[in-house]
Amino acid sequence: MNLRQVSSMATVAVAAAVVTAVVTLSITKASGQPAAGGTTKPTLAARPPRVEGKPNMSGIWQALNEANWDLEAHAARPGAVTQPGVYPFEHARVPAAPVVALGAAGGVPASLGVVQDDGTIPYKPEALATKKENVEHWIDRDPELKCYLPGIPRAMYLPYPFEITQSTSKVHMSFAFTNTARTIHLDKVEDPPADTWMGHSVGRWEGDTLVVNVNSFNDKTWFDRAGNFHSDALKVTERFSLLTPDVIWYEAAIEDPNVFTRTWRIAMPLYRRMEPNSQLLEYQCIAFVEEFLYGNLRKTPLVTHWEGETMSIDIKRKVPPGDAFYAWFRK
Amino acid sequence: MRGFKWIAAGMIATAGGVLLVGCGSRGPSDSVFQLKTPWGEPDVQGIWTLETDTPLQRPARFKDKATLTDQERAELDKQRAALLGRDKRVERGTELDVAGAYSAVFNTVKRTGPRTSLIVDPPNGRIPPPTPEAQARAAADRAFRLSLLQATDTCKNHMAGCNGGKYDPSPSPRLNEIPDRYNTGRMNRHDRPEDGSVGDRCFVGALPDMPTPFGGNFQRIVQTPGGVAIFYDTGQGQGFRRNIVMNGSPHLPSSIRQFSGDSRGHWEGTTLVVDVTNFTLMLDSFGSRENKHLVERYTRTGPASLEYKVTVEDPTVFTRPWTVQMDFGKQSDALNRIYYEPRCHEGNYAFPSLMLAARIADRDYATGRGPRPDTKDNATDFVGTEENPFN
Repeated sequence: MNLRQVSSMATVAVAAAVVTAVVTLSITKASGQPAAGGTTKPTLAARPPRVEGKPNMSGIWQALNEANWDLEAHAARPGAVTQPGVYPFEHARVPAAPVVALGAAGGVPASLGVVQDDGTIPYKPEALATKKENVEHWIDRDPELKCYLPGIPRAMYLPYPFEITQSTSKVHMSFAFTNTARTIHLDKVEDPPADTWMGHSVGRWEGDTLVVNVNSFNDKTWFDRAGNFHSDALKVTERFSLLTPDVIWYEAAIEDPNVFTRTWRIAMPLYRRMEPNSQLLEYQCIAFVEEFLYGNLRKTPLVTHWEGETMSIDIKRKVPPGDAFYAWFRK
Repeated sequence: MRGFKWIAAGMIATAGGVLLVGCGSRGPSDSVFQLKTPWGEPDVQGIWTLETDTPLQRPARFKDKATLTDQERAELDKQRAALLGRDKRVERGTELDVAGAYSAVFNTVKRTGPRTSLIVDPPNGRIPPPTPEAQARAAADRAFRLSLLQATDTCKNHMAGCNGGKYDPSPSPRLNEIPDRYNTGRMNRHDRPEDGSVGDRCFVGALPDMPTPFGGNFQRIVQTPGGVAIFYDTGQGQGFRRNIVMNGSPHLPSSIRQFSGDSRGHWEGTTLVVDVTNFTLMLDSFGSRENKHLVERYTRTGPASLEYKVTVEDPTVFTRPWTVQMDFGKQSDALNRIYYEPRCHEGNYAFPSLMLAARIADRDYATGRGPRPDTKDNATDFVGTEENPFN
């Protein structure tokens, strides 16, 4: 490929980017008429750009990144749970039994990370040891797997959508994941009577940025699936600002003197769900996790190997006729 | 006069940032004002609850009487305050007495409300008779649950938990039967999670949300231009969130079923009208499940009051629709006494303990160290409900 070809491809790419930008704008201002392709364009016209002078963040949003896998930068991993392979190297580990049958769907995608500044979470030495232990015991310890409330900031970047309902004295957030909700109080309210999973959120507008102080946490939630954790001394300061009508820039400063040597920050965009029929649906996972949590207490177990509370999964993968690797390949 | 007082109180509310527009709206009852959000929609926001106790269905002894005088309410308050309720003790060492450890301290007793039933239609204040098929389903379900109790002291001693059943010391032939419909209630068997009640399993509460003796029935409504979100604090940490779609789009396809259904709302004058369908098969409201259809009407009737009417329709279960009315009182935003937590599932030690105890009982019986497990009642707990004038 010569320089000219590269240059002309770059021109096409720039042109495509411009077209994309134009389309994005037109979606924002769409009138609801069917597009050329015959589908219905999103209509967001009913939503005013501001609510009582503040940028209107109401609507359905979702993170589009790998933060829930691991806040820190990481290479792709072969499985959410791995075990040593034949080589003694970390990079040559292989998937462990719980995720082996999921194949490529059970792996962990790579990420540049969302932790700001030097990109690492500043653990105290003893806390770092706990984090490493958490990685080894991910399946037993991650509250997400038990369908427990995700806490803040994790609720904001779980791989499920959430809906903001922005009023004048309250900003309410409903999350698809289990029955999670939070209310950000812009007015003065009493503190909660006890520690909480989701924290107590008190917000204020600084210009066009919604700044939220969250405290009164318990020590049971995590930040991600990589064992990153905190104590009940956690305090989170969040900042929500609109980059465009359809992108929130989300930042959270995380402070916990029991676990970290200093305050650290994460930052990421949250994107508006643009589907014309977008609607917050339920992910009611309590019933989904009963086998995981209580399966060993069944009179007749469904998983064949329970040793006390230890589940020993036999991966019996009986391949149906015609779906065996070579048979499928030759179809 | 009453309207004037509301306007006066509304002016106080205006100082708090709520715009008051006095007008003779076409809302229900005698409302003479309406509250609007700054962007001009009727304002139904706040923390709301039913501040008094009214039975859902009118007790038989009230017959055609729909309302209570102040004197009657005071008398009922006295009677109800004197009830031992779940503090009542029965024979020591029995399962029933142990079940009473969940004592009256867990119950909420509020002042008697002005009506004899929350149901305002049909006029007799009762849930309409079930259809023949719903009756047959309910009878079959009851017979199955009673058969799992047949060898227990509850049946031997003719306790309320065995009403309709009879004592038989032999093991029930139905001990290993899986019910035809998804189980939602408690049964005297804990062989698997699915044998548990949806309450014991910490599933979210069902719509319409009703007051229970165990508290709850608080809700927070937050509005935005073209959007309404509600969070329910109900049961014991069985709260749930619900977002009402206000863009005029049709209901979800029938293949998508949700615990809180699919809510589509619009404004009719000052009333928020919400149509709810697409309910799950895994929660039960008086026998109604996947065919349940609700039409809810929220109308602000004063600075501190919100009228809520819900019509429940399910032709496969009820012979006619029925309507519940609850007059909610606004709770202080500053005190913020609505609990999104503690949460039932996150602290659910009780349910695995029920199953663990059942496995220990199985093992003890198998090794000759304990009684036959099905002779023990771990399901019913009808303690101290008999004298309640609301029953």
